[in-house]
Amino acid sequence: MILIISACKEPLSELEFIEPLKALVSNSKVVHYTQLQAKDLALAEKIIISGTALADFDYLQADFSWISKLNKPILGICAGAQVIAKAFGWELVDETHIDVKPVHMVKLNLLVKGDFNAYFLHTKRIRGDFTTLAKSGETPALIKHNVKHAYACIFHPEVLNQEIITLFIHAKHK
Amino acid sequence: MRLGVLYSGGKDSTLALMKAQQFHDVLCLVTLVSSNKESFMFHTPNIDITSLQAEAMELPLVRVETLGEKENELADLKKALTLAKKQHKIEGVVTGAIRSTYQTSRVQQVCHELGLWCFNPLWLMDQELLLTEIIKSKIHAIISAVSAEPLDETFLGKKLDTRIAKRLVDLGKSHKINPAGEGGEVETTVLDAPTFKKKIEILKRQINYKNYAGTFTILNARLVQK
Repeated sequence: MILIISACKEPLSELEFIEPLKALVSNSKVVHYTQLQAKDLALAEKIIISGTALADFDYLQADFSWISKLNKPILGICAGAQVIAKAFGWELVDETHIDVKPVHMVKLNLLVKGDFNAYFLHTKRIRGDFTTLAKSGETPALIKHNVKHAYACIFHPEVLNQEIITLFIHAKHK
Repeated sequence: MRLGVLYSGGKDSTLALMKAQQFHDVLCLVTLVSSNKESFMFHTPNIDITSLQAEAMELPLVRVETLGEKENELADLKKALTLAKKQHKIEGVVTGAIRSTYQTSRVQQVCHELGLWCFNPLWLMDQELLLTEIIKSKIHAIISAVSAEPLDETFLGKKLDTRIAKRLVDLGKSHKINPAGEGGEVETTVLDAPTFKKKIEILKRQINYKNYAGTFTILNARLVQK
């Protein structure tokens, strides 16, 4: 089972940020971050944390420290990327991008196979000690924890790069 | 939350509005009337009918005219949403965007600048499922424009029902068109929906069609009891 954690404050936003993920992930369970239980994490094979509306920042007040203790593959999208960053002590810096922009792969990895265009909808970038897999300009766009299978994607792959989610689900993370 | 809906009068913005009403209060409709037929953002046939639709829904309409020149459209959108925020104290905006990153990123940008939430409840929806949901939701939409081969004159003015939806889906597969018209292949005008207190009756219309491009223009219409 793939656990999809909703980062959306507003249920109306879930139609925009959760439903497209559900359509891509066949064996999924959706849990809102405020309702998350230890058994959900225990039963999950892999975890995806969603994005949310640009005006939504509630998720930044929540406790996502469990991410740093997790030993399962996890992918955070936009807001989800930010909570992964917080859990590992990386820094969030104000930087807004709302557009389709080119992304350049800088390191061979399991999720992207070259350069591509991606849809960005965020107000924060991530700074810290991690492995950058792909960049947009100078901004790290897809990053990975140096050791763990924890990926933070600051763009929205469900819009133009659905294969990233498919590859994350099917990859054998050793 | 107090919301305004970017409303074109078609099936998608009507369904988006109805979804928003399940969670929040819709306080007004916002319509941009573009005089440029090639506008990427706002051109829709029968846009003038939105005033009648707003009356049918008993909602105020914020109507702003735009020349539809590419980047000036953003300034006009900002003007319209600023007006809606001031007049109706909206905190967020709803759109019927499905897949266009061009349109949605521009609306997101303007909402961000104005400190408004932006909701796109149809975002990335499968087009066949979308047509099914529109019909199930009892939205009475007619086809008001076609703009792709092999869509012929017989589509114009037809009610979007299960039979027409199946034809569009079949043509979508055989001719690679978007069955719900996301690429502008098909435009619709809504005459009635569960959120309408009255329905629209067409009194006079005009059909123009040539080479797989046509419009069903409503010249005169009125509200009648449902």
